[in-house]
Amino acid sequence: MANYVEMWKDLGMDLENHDMLCQVLPTAVGDVFLTQENRPKAMDFWDLVISEVHGIRPAELIEAQKEGRKVFGTFCVYVPDEVVIAANGIVTGLCGGSQFWIPDGETVLPKATCPLIKASVGARLGRTCPFFRIADMYVGETTCDGKKKAYEILGEDVPMYVMDLPQMKRPKDIVKWKEEIADFAKKVEEVTGNEITPEKLNEAIHIINERRKAMARVYECRKSLCLPISGRDALLMTQISFFDDPVRCAQMCNRLADELEQRIRDGVSVVPADTKRILVTGTPLAVPNWKLHNIIETSGAAVVCEEMCTGTRYFTNLVDETKTTLDEQFMALSERYMKTNCACFTPNTGRIEDILELVKEYKVDGVIDCSLKFCCLYDTEKRSVSTALKEAGVPVLSLETDYADTDAEQLRTRIGAFIEMLNA
Amino acid sequence: MPDTDIRWYILFQNYEQGLALRDLLCQHDLKNRIAPAPRAIQGELSCGMSLLIEDEDMEAVLQCITQNRGEYHSIRPLAGQMHAHRDRYC
Repeated sequence: MANYVEMWKDLGMDLENHDMLCQVLPTAVGDVFLTQENRPKAMDFWDLVISEVHGIRPAELIEAQKEGRKVFGTFCVYVPDEVVIAANGIVTGLCGGSQFWIPDGETVLPKATCPLIKASVGARLGRTCPFFRIADMYVGETTCDGKKKAYEILGEDVPMYVMDLPQMKRPKDIVKWKEEIADFAKKVEEVTGNEITPEKLNEAIHIINERRKAMARVYECRKSLCLPISGRDALLMTQISFFDDPVRCAQMCNRLADELEQRIRDGVSVVPADTKRILVTGTPLAVPNWKLHNIIETSGAAVVCEEMCTGTRYFTNLVDETKTTLDEQFMALSERYMKTNCACFTPNTGRIEDILELVKEYKVDGVIDCSLKFCCLYDTEKRSVSTALKEAGVPVLSLETDYADTDAEQLRTRIGAFIEMLNA
Repeated sequence: MPDTDIRWYILFQNYEQGLALRDLLCQHDLKNRIAPAPRAIQGELSCGMSLLIEDEDMEAVLQCITQNRGEYHSIRPLAGQMHAHRDRYC
C-alpha cells in the first residue's frame, strides 16, 4: 500500500492546508456525482480515481520517476503529448480547477487574473497538490497574457519551458508551430536523456490517437436522443484523461463507450425523453470545477457536449500516422494541433463553425457560452458566438463565472430561466 | 430538500483492500458505490476511497462480509452527505 501521508511529506507538501482540501472534496463529489441516479457502471473507474485523486496516480508517477522516467506538467491542449511519450516521458495536466488554490495564487498575481491561472500558480506555491510537486518540468505556452506572466513566476520555482504558439493560422504559422514542436522535442530529449526516433514518435502518435478515438466514442454516444450518460460524468471522464496514463485512459473510455452503446440499444437514458439538451462552450473546466454542469443538470436540463479544451477540442482530429521521418511527423503534429480553435487566434471563425456543427450533431436545444472571469479572449468572442447562434435560430445564454460558490444562486436563477424558456 | 438519510461508509487501509471488498459485494449482487471517504470519519487513514452503502442494504452487506471474512478498516454511518443543490464546490 502507498502511504499517502508519507508520500505527501516526501513531496514537501503543506499537510495542514492540504487536509482542508481533503475535507471539501468528498462533499462535492457526493453532491455532484453520487446524487445521480442510474449512472453507467463503468463510471466506477472514475469514482475510484477521484476518490484517490491525490493518491493512486501521484504514487504511480513517483514510481516511474524512481525508474528514471521524467514527468512533464502541461497546461494546454496545444502541447503535444506525443513528443514526451516518444522519449519515454510522462505527461500530466496541471490546470488548477479549485477555489481552494486561489488565495495562494493571489499572493503573487493580480486579483484580476483568471481563476484557472491563479489556482494553477497557487497549487504550486501553496504546496497543496502532489501533481504540481511531482512534475520535473512544466511546459507552458503563449495562449494568453495571464499565462505568459504566470509562467515567469512559476519559472522561479520549477524548471519551465514555454512553447511559442502562433496567434494566426496562415501556412507560415503552421510551419512555425512545427518548428516549435521540433525545438520542444530537443528539450524533451535533453531532460529525459532519451532520443526521439521516428519509430518511437510514431508509436506515441498512435497511443494518443487511440485515446482520442476512445474519447470520441463516448462523445458519439452523447449524440443519441436516448442520453446514456450525464454531462457531469462525461466531464469527469474528460478531466481525468489529462492526468491518466493514455493507454489505460483509452481502455477505460472504450469500456465506458461499450456500456453506453449497449444502453442506447436498450433504451436506457439518464434523463426523461423531453429533457432539454445543452451545449456548453467557452473556457476549460479543470478538475474539480463542476459548478456549471451541476447547476445546469440539477435545473432540469442535460449537458450533451462541451466545445472547450476539456471537451471536443481535446480529442477532435487525429494526427497522420503514415509519416516516416521526424520532420514529416512534426509537421503532421503541427497540422493536427493547429486545427484546434482557441480564442487566442485571430481570426477564430473556425470555433463558430465548430459550435454550429456540434449543435446539429448533438441535437442541441440551447447553448451556454461561459467564460471564466478575466478571460478577455473568450469574453470578447461571446459576441460573435451569440450573433452566429441567433442567426441560426439557436437560443444562447452568455455567462461569466469563477470558482467561488458565491455566484451559484445567481447562476441558478439565470440558467433556470434559460431552461424554462427552452421548455416554453 | 436537505439530505437527512443515513448512509454507511466502509473505510479501508488502502484502495486494494477496498476494491477486493467491492468485488465481493458485486459478486453477491449487493449494491455499493465507490465514494471518497468523508474527512470527518477518515481519521488517520490516508486512503481516500470508501464504499457507500444505503441504509436498507447494510444488513445484507454486513452478513456477506461476515460470512466471507471480507476485510475493511471500519464502518461508519453518516447523514446529510449528499445534496445536489447545496452548491458547495471544491
